[in-house]
Amino acid sequence: MRKIDDIIPDIGFIPALIIVVVLAIALELSGAWITMIIAGVFGGLFTRKTSRAFLAGFLGVGLGWGLLLFYLSLTAEAMAIANIFIGLLGLSGMGWLVIVVSVLIGALLGGFGGLLGRSLVEFIDDLSSKRPVPTPQS
Amino acid sequence: MKKIIKFGLSLVGPIVMIVILTMPIGPLAGGLGILQPIGGIFDVGRAVNEPTAQTVTIPGLSAEVTVLVDQWGIPHIYASTVEDAYMALGYLHAKDRLFQMVMQNYLASGRICEIVGEYAATSDKFYRTIGLARAAQRTLDWYVANSADPDVAYTLAGIDAEVAGVNAFINSMTSITTPFEFKVLGFKPQPWTRLDVFIWAKMMTWGLSGGIYDLYRQWIRSTIDNDTMYNELFPDVMPYEVPIVPEQTNLSLVEYPNAPGGVVVSSYPGESAVQISAEEAMIPQAKLQALMSLLADVFQPLGQDEILGSNNWAVASSKSATGMPILANDPHLGLQAPSLWYEAQIVVPGQLDVTGVTLPGLPAVLLGHNDHIAWGFTNVGADVLDIFVEELNPSNASEYTYNGAYRSLAVYDENIHTKEGTDIPFQVKESVHGPLIDSAVGTYGLDSESQPNIAMNWTGYGITHEILSAGKLNRAVNLTEYYDALYWWDSPPQNIIYADDAGHIAITCAGLYPIRSGYTGEYPVAAYNDSIGMTSYIPYAYIPRSVDPVQGYLQSANQRSIDTAKYGFQLLGPFDDGYRGRRIDYLLNHTASVTVDDMKMFQADSLEVSAQEIVPYVVAAWDSAGDGNGTINGIMNPLRTWDYVMDTDVYTPTLWMYLEDAIHYVVLDELRSIDSSLLLSRTPILEMIIKENYSYYLDDHTTTGQVENRDQILASALVRAINEMVQEYGTDPSNWIYGVHHRVYVDHLADFTYIGGGPQRGQNTLNAAGGWRVTHGPSWRMVADLGNIQKSYGVYPGGQSGNMFSPHWDDLFKLWYAFNETTQQYGYHQMYFYSTAAAFQAADTSGTMVERTITFVG
Repeated sequence: MRKIDDIIPDIGFIPALIIVVVLAIALELSGAWITMIIAGVFGGLFTRKTSRAFLAGFLGVGLGWGLLLFYLSLTAEAMAIANIFIGLLGLSGMGWLVIVVSVLIGALLGGFGGLLGRSLVEFIDDLSSKRPVPTPQS
Repeated sequence: MKKIIKFGLSLVGPIVMIVILTMPIGPLAGGLGILQPIGGIFDVGRAVNEPTAQTVTIPGLSAEVTVLVDQWGIPHIYASTVEDAYMALGYLHAKDRLFQMVMQNYLASGRICEIVGEYAATSDKFYRTIGLARAAQRTLDWYVANSADPDVAYTLAGIDAEVAGVNAFINSMTSITTPFEFKVLGFKPQPWTRLDVFIWAKMMTWGLSGGIYDLYRQWIRSTIDNDTMYNELFPDVMPYEVPIVPEQTNLSLVEYPNAPGGVVVSSYPGESAVQISAEEAMIPQAKLQALMSLLADVFQPLGQDEILGSNNWAVASSKSATGMPILANDPHLGLQAPSLWYEAQIVVPGQLDVTGVTLPGLPAVLLGHNDHIAWGFTNVGADVLDIFVEELNPSNASEYTYNGAYRSLAVYDENIHTKEGTDIPFQVKESVHGPLIDSAVGTYGLDSESQPNIAMNWTGYGITHEILSAGKLNRAVNLTEYYDALYWWDSPPQNIIYADDAGHIAITCAGLYPIRSGYTGEYPVAAYNDSIGMTSYIPYAYIPRSVDPVQGYLQSANQRSIDTAKYGFQLLGPFDDGYRGRRIDYLLNHTASVTVDDMKMFQADSLEVSAQEIVPYVVAAWDSAGDGNGTINGIMNPLRTWDYVMDTDVYTPTLWMYLEDAIHYVVLDELRSIDSSLLLSRTPILEMIIKENYSYYLDDHTTTGQVENRDQILASALVRAINEMVQEYGTDPSNWIYGVHHRVYVDHLADFTYIGGGPQRGQNTLNAAGGWRVTHGPSWRMVADLGNIQKSYGVYPGGQSGNMFSPHWDDLFKLWYAFNETTQQYGYHQMYFYSTAAAFQAADTSGTMVERTITFVG
């Protein structure tokens, strides 16, 4: 049985990052933050090192959410909303912190997704490599 | 093995994130997951960008409804049937104000713990005790049982339509249209019901007529322990008042035999004095204070009793510059964001063409005008709630004495559900007089009773007909139909002013007023039989009313309804101090030909009548008995030329505020020496003491061997006021400026944010703005010109949208707040009033009047 890493190529960090960004934006449009783990998993699929998988997910989703929030701040009062929200915690005038926390949440979801994806791939590939190769019956 | 461990460890991060993003953090019950860009709190910003043309489906609609939303976000609803119109209104109420509607109803029904958690249990216990939800259910049952009556059927149909509209919105809610507050609180609204409509109506009724004055009166009276002094300093009726009704107009008892709300008047004592047979029941001071403290702390959506007020007035054709009546109204309630009010025009050809303000959740325009009449409300302030102290059976606290036997108390299980998922067991007991209010607070250990025994008998606890009456008023086209509409208005008592395009003006102090037998209603009493209590009510035909008076105008500002010498029934207060009534009466009396602009100026009038009456005595006193201190002279000099207007850019209003307090303090040493927490009487009493030179109170009894006269006392009050002001604000006069400290705040219902924060004119003036942090005031200003109803104006301090990121969140506030020094008027918007959508669109030649269109389809 072929390993996943043999099927999906290592396309390099930047292409993997771009794939995660696109996926993060597309999946986030569903309004379910949990799907960011899936976006991150793709970072783990297209890279080989654990650290790169984490970074691809972390930066990819972080960038994706950052772009979305930038767009929303231009078109849909995202900064004003952030300011009201942080005001509820007694930190008025620090709306930027909410944006940072939001991006960080997305980045961590993506990063952990990347880690999960890489270790899952390695785990499955490891399992498949240990499975005895069936010998043809004569 | 290594790979398994690595895989296992890689699961830790996602799991931790899922937990963090879903678990409540303090009040942020929605969890941090709501911070995602889409599907969380940021979606509410996307709701702000509404399409210019939109089609919305409401199941059950019989025909298409066109809604033109004007430049202020105010919907103008054009429908074929009344039901369709109210379905559209219900949808719009929910779309713009769902969080407010839910919060208000949960608060009223004692369920706020379900939204905010168990820390609000005191509030829930209170509202479950007074039983607004139980009263609402009783009222709903009455409507259902009487649905054969065309007016009742009309009202129920409107309610059902409103509910259907609200639910159409709830069922169609997306992340974008879900209110921000629900996301933060992690709350999902339940479907709306008929009962919800009645619960909110009951809350309005409670907010405007639920004052428990008996407890305050008893506490003050028993604390002073001197009935002469109590009667002199705390009368129910204030001196110098101009009553609301100048000439009483009775209706035919044959035509209107009942009391308001269809209450059959079995008998009434007419002009005979009340025979007192029930003894005042003395409640221990600690228990009184605990109950009063609870009442003071519980959140009242319409504002606390002591600051509720309103103005309305109308001039007849003879006194109007237009040759037809002009009517003005500004109800003073708690200012909140979103506003209590939601403005709308509702047009159903041949049946309804009405505009004004609605209460979100209620299918009626409460204050406004239609194509023939205009009307406005002020609160009567009548005491329609009495306290009865029950005698419990010593061997069974579930029974009480009544008519010579023991009766069982009714028991309601009112378990409180909390957001945390726990239930707080709670029971409310009820006697024949009403619910036992000490169920809400554990005061019954403070006296010999071990169980609740203080019953609240409130007219609003019964079946009431506010929505039915408002619906009839919306459709009324002449004086007779106005009478017919108010025949149903039982609670809360309101001074309902009227003007029509036939040239009539009228005012009715509408409401159900008890006729008490065996007691006065001023203090808690023990009533062990049915000869004592609210045994009858003033017939509608005879309630205070004035129609087309000779003076050519009518006015009300919460003062005494009618001169007691001219009226055979007793109306118990407490009524307002009367300064606003005196001022508007003066202005209307001294203006020969009143214009719409005059009406707007009167609504903005910030002249402090109490200062106008008292300050000249203080100035004269200082000149006569002052010590000539140069510093005091310099500071008080502006009082000599002050126009008594509470303006924001001078310091005389600030000095007056300190002076008023100081005069109370130095004159009423007789009270403060008894108990420092006693209210130092009301300002009209002080005015009377000064004007009448009442030497007993003017003398400072805390000094020995010395008798002070009026001038000495007022001079010392001036020194005290200036010292207090300087102590508080320092010696820099720029920090004494009124507007530095007197500022208006419209707080969000859940305290998320506020509107305003700027300097505010007025105080206890026509332009009401009490206290330093102004949180109450004109919640709606309207001027209706019956000569040209198109040229009528309105505004309220807020905005149509409950979405705090919408331009319609505070645009009306900006208008309401903007004071024009040249015209001496605040801003208003013209109340666009077109009878068809096509006419409205045709009139919008500039393309600025109509902002967007919503088409509702079935």
